[in-house]
Amino acid sequence: MFGQNVEIRTINLSSARERNEVDVFLQKQNLILEKDVEYTLAMYEEERIVGTGSISGNVLKCIAIDPEYQGGGFSNKIISLLLNEQYYRGNTHLFIFTKPKNKKLFLDLGFYEITTIDDYVTLLENDPRGIKNFTEELSLQKHDGKVISSIVMNCNPFTLGHRHLIETASKNSDVVHIFVVWEDRSVFPNEVRYKLIKEGVKHLDNVFVHRGKDYIISNSTFPSYFLKEKNAIVKIHTMLDVKIFGEFIAPALGINRRYVGEEKSDPVTNEYNLTMKELLKDYDIEVVEIPRIKNSEAAISASRVRELLRTDDFLSLKQLVPQTTFEFLISDEAKTIIGKIKNDKK
Amino acid sequence: MEIKKVGVAGTVESSDINIVIEPSDKKGIEIELQSTVMKQFGRQVKNLIEETLRSEGVESAVVRATDKGAIDFVIKARALTALYRAAEINEYTWEA
Repeated sequence: MFGQNVEIRTINLSSARERNEVDVFLQKQNLILEKDVEYTLAMYEEERIVGTGSISGNVLKCIAIDPEYQGGGFSNKIISLLLNEQYYRGNTHLFIFTKPKNKKLFLDLGFYEITTIDDYVTLLENDPRGIKNFTEELSLQKHDGKVISSIVMNCNPFTLGHRHLIETASKNSDVVHIFVVWEDRSVFPNEVRYKLIKEGVKHLDNVFVHRGKDYIISNSTFPSYFLKEKNAIVKIHTMLDVKIFGEFIAPALGINRRYVGEEKSDPVTNEYNLTMKELLKDYDIEVVEIPRIKNSEAAISASRVRELLRTDDFLSLKQLVPQTTFEFLISDEAKTIIGKIKNDKK
Repeated sequence: MEIKKVGVAGTVESSDINIVIEPSDKKGIEIELQSTVMKQFGRQVKNLIEETLRSEGVESAVVRATDKGAIDFVIKARALTALYRAAEINEYTWEA
């Protein structure tokens, strides 16, 4: 009989051999061990992996059980252990992305559906009132007006380009809501990005800056592992992100327009913008693309700012960012961030 | 007893129950239960959790529980453990 001697172990993620073992197992189930996993468990029987599960931020991912071991309560065991690890780490609001055909498993384990995109993906959370509480809280910050715009931005860090986008939106709208992508995968931490935007738009009294926690799904959170075609990943991620925005976030604030920076040179963002334009029509939200402003020859971008930080070219940098961002960049607080940028590139 | 942070106990394995207790700004104990035996014992499980918390002097809390067919004393033990963790109490006074 199967499963008599199963043993669950924590994988040493710094060991290439152990990672590879898990990865080989996951590939048999059409998954992979994603690069961003922070904690991985594997279930062994006679030194053979028969199940696994991982944690990354507040997401449970890369979960699979050998088909021969399914139905024996092993997935419950793995998920219980992942939940305990998450709670131990202080993450109590958790998410799972899964194939819609597998959602029943998680619905039985204390997860609740937020939304589903066709046969591709279901997003679940472990709090039945999660998204409801989020939108209720958001709606307290509603401001009346005819044109209510929104921009979702990362701002790593806040540049004159970002400011131009916000100023254009502000001039052409009654109210502008900015959502700062909260995921901490950027070199500038979320609170810093938030603070720099807030300081940089102080002069605009119809602009409100929000922390885009949990329900603004950046492409770094979105798992690519269970979608085979790479082209489809961007599309489906966009569909999910836009559906949550259109269904939950926009109604809470009465948003009817969304501004984006034009992104002709980056195919991924361009694809995202096109898909978003199409999908937001269904929610009566208009998408307005704003061309990037240029400084001498190249468009102003956060990546260019980071590049200049790497070479300590503060003189050129000053031309690309607002005074408030510049002051931060020359402060002591920015030193560790700049150090990180320099190390990353090596 | 005051709930200071999120407290968790239990698992989602068969015959167990996972209980999460959170602080609440509203008065009263709000329980969200999901159970494999919802139709048969849902009300009983909820009542037991509420009674257990009330007997410890809890007046306000949000509870999320995922029940996999736990029997009463398991439910009670998990509820108490989650509560003590949520209230940051390390001294247990278990009564027989």
